[in-house]
Amino acid sequence: MKNIIKTITITVIFSISLFSQNVFERNCLVCHEHFPASLQRMFMSYLKVYSGEITMKAALKGYLKKPDKKLSVMSDLFIDRFGIKDKTDLNDEELEEAIDIYWNLYNVRNKLR
Amino acid sequence: MLVSKNRDISLLLNSEKQSLRRFLTLYIFLVLALISLLSISYYKSQEKLMFSNQRTILSGYATEQVKRLKILHHYFPTKDEYPRDSRFKSAIYDIERVLIFSTLDNNHINLDKVIYRAGNKIHFIKYLDDYYLGAMYLIIEIDEDRSWYKDTILHILALGTIILIILAIFGLFFVRLFLKPMKNSIELLDNFIKDTTHELNTPLSAILANIEMMDQSVMSEKNIKKLARINIAAKTVSHLYQDLTYLVLGHQRISKDEWIDLKELILDRVDYFYILSNSKKISFELDLKEKKILIDPIKIARMIDNLISNAIKYNKRKGTIKIVLREEYLLISDTGIGITSDKINSVFDRYSRFTSSVGGFGIGLNIVKSIVDEYNLKITLNSILGEGTTFKIEFPKESLK
Repeated sequence: MKNIIKTITITVIFSISLFSQNVFERNCLVCHEHFPASLQRMFMSYLKVYSGEITMKAALKGYLKKPDKKLSVMSDLFIDRFGIKDKTDLNDEELEEAIDIYWNLYNVRNKLR
Repeated sequence: MLVSKNRDISLLLNSEKQSLRRFLTLYIFLVLALISLLSISYYKSQEKLMFSNQRTILSGYATEQVKRLKILHHYFPTKDEYPRDSRFKSAIYDIERVLIFSTLDNNHINLDKVIYRAGNKIHFIKYLDDYYLGAMYLIIEIDEDRSWYKDTILHILALGTIILIILAIFGLFFVRLFLKPMKNSIELLDNFIKDTTHELNTPLSAILANIEMMDQSVMSEKNIKKLARINIAAKTVSHLYQDLTYLVLGHQRISKDEWIDLKELILDRVDYFYILSNSKKISFELDLKEKKILIDPIKIARMIDNLISNAIKYNKRKGTIKIVLREEYLLISDTGIGITSDKINSVFDRYSRFTSSVGGFGIGLNIVKSIVDEYNLKITLNSILGEGTTFKIEFPKESLK
């Protein structure tokens, strides 16, 4: 009986914590947390190449839907070590939402002083 | 058509003055246009030179700032302080021309130019190859050194004035050169009149004296008529002679002013012109009040003679001449051909005639005007084409007696 209660409690806590996360945290942060290159550094690499918000978001969306070594902004060394990510299984709406969250989290604007 | 003619009569004719005025206006306009063009061109070249000098300095600042942006890009967000420099202000814009960060004082940005003036600042745009912090455009701003502007304006004013003076001297030289033939013609005509006048004196005096001496009581009716015609012709020539004498010598003569009974003088002159006016069946209507005026007797006689003679000359056959004399003014009207509006302005010019079909030199009204001006009188002219002309002479208040 004690074991059943414990299992239910753990399941409920896990479910609550899982559903309290947003689409970016659920689908991106989970894996990227384990990479040596942080999401901030990756963001800066994208920014250095694509500059503007619309341009960068479009490039990121295109890459995530169809990952390609030629399109990656990461170094060859990084790609050789970790490879190219799998094609995203998020739909357009979820993907755009995740990218918007990513942009708002790491965006340079309003953070310079 | 009422025209007030109170300007001075000088040796230059109106047409000559007009030509001079038109030429000088056109010349000054062209000279100013030329100086303006040269000034704009000089100003632009000086501005270009200033930008060229500043560009070298600004390019150096931009390179330094790019290096700082690169470092900040690398350490962001650990370091988040935008790089500043006491020598200049700067701003960064992304590829979509959205502002990332700015320390500029003047935010009127033109990203399509490399260097330009914004108020009292100079902006220099640097295009980044690597978009550090997402920046594609880096704007460097410095205060504009206005010393070049002051120097340029001073140069323009100094050089412009010198060029204007030189060209004005050339202009005057050209004007004199162009007007010389016109002046020569007038001088020639004046000299001709002077010589002719001199030669007319003796024979004319002889004719007039002999007409007066002739005993008409022993003449037949036919001969009396012939003598009257000779008298008219001789008086016409005499009138012309007096005008020419006045014109040639009148200005050199010192005026001897005395109180003249104008009514008496007009009656005398009307009587003098009776035979002449009668030849055209012109009648006089006189409405004269007492009026005395302090004036040279020869000059007032020339003035009245010329106005009456004019009224006879340009009148219709069987016309009327109306003379009204009041304390304030004198009116002499005819029922003649009138004057067209385009000729009204030049009727008082020397050698100006209403029509070529009537004889004369066109000096009568010029003499009238010179006397009017000398005695501060005012002459106005009212003319209706085909109906007649009225000359009005207004006396100044101080001469009213």
